[in-house]
Amino acid sequence: MFHVIARRSAPVTRLLLAPRGAVLVESVRGRKSRGDPVAKSKEGRIKVPPPVDPKEMVVLKERFTEYQLILRALRLEFKEEVLRKKFEEETGSLAEERARQDAEEHRTLMLWNQEENLRLLKARVLRIQKEEEEAQRTKMEAVMKLELQQDEFIKQKEQQVLQLQEEAKNFITMENLDQRIEEALDHPKNYNFAVDREGRVVRQTVVQ
Amino acid sequence: MVHLSSLLLKKYHGGYVVIRLALAGHKQANRPFYRIVAAYNKRARDNKYLEQLGTYDPLPNIYNEKLVSFNFDRIKYWIGCGAHPTKPVAKLLGLAGFFPLHPMTITEAERRRAQAELSEAAGAGAEAERQTEKPAEV
Repeated sequence: MFHVIARRSAPVTRLLLAPRGAVLVESVRGRKSRGDPVAKSKEGRIKVPPPVDPKEMVVLKERFTEYQLILRALRLEFKEEVLRKKFEEETGSLAEERARQDAEEHRTLMLWNQEENLRLLKARVLRIQKEEEEAQRTKMEAVMKLELQQDEFIKQKEQQVLQLQEEAKNFITMENLDQRIEEALDHPKNYNFAVDREGRVVRQTVVQ
Repeated sequence: MVHLSSLLLKKYHGGYVVIRLALAGHKQANRPFYRIVAAYNKRARDNKYLEQLGTYDPLPNIYNEKLVSFNFDRIKYWIGCGAHPTKPVAKLLGLAGFFPLHPMTITEAERRRAQAELSEAAGAGAEAERQTEKPAEV
């Protein structure tokens, strides 16, 4: 029903690689514990090793010594081969070539990198110059604009002053008062008018 | 997060490398298939190994062959680095010709041949007895 994980796997891998929903059940080698009694069917059993034929054993021993000798020789051969390969890798003729080529490549790449840096430096310098000029120009423009605005303001104020001066000529003062009253009474003004939907204005009204 | 690789790369005190058979695809019952594998001695049989060096299929195919494969180059490397092959792997390599023939292979074959000869002799003896009995009866 559940995934049973064998006891043999290391506890760490068990914790890490356990699938989700798996029950960690301990399954131990052998069903019986140390103190459990022997089964009834195995009561009088004496365990006997398999019988050894002495002639066969002699022949076997000889064969084994030969076999081990050959194996030892093979092992030393393989070890030598491994060491030689490692030596060739590290300090063989090809290794020198490779090292030289790597150094060459490194040198060319570093040169290229330097050139790239110079190029980018020039580009950067130009860009910064342009930006500075732009900034200067905008500043000058701003200053000029400000000046223009100020001039305009002054002009506007001057115009207003002049206009006021012009109007001041028509003001009613204490000296003009009587004169102006006389004038106003002598010339009555009619402000009434009528407008049509078409926009025709009629100023003629009934005179009182 | 725990750094996983340092937990899985164990350091063994006095551990050595072995070339042994590891059961592969153990989710199928009654269909074994072995990988010839270089692993640390203390590791579980089917668990993480250093390198796979071949395969062994113990069940014969339709042409009555048991298929084995070896990566001889890498086997040479590992034995040169001091790996020990186990008995079955040594026997397989002996049959392949890479190692000398294992003594037990030879002795097993001799024993089986002796057994076969004995049973043949017994069978011939039984037949001869039956042959002598029939004319006696008749």
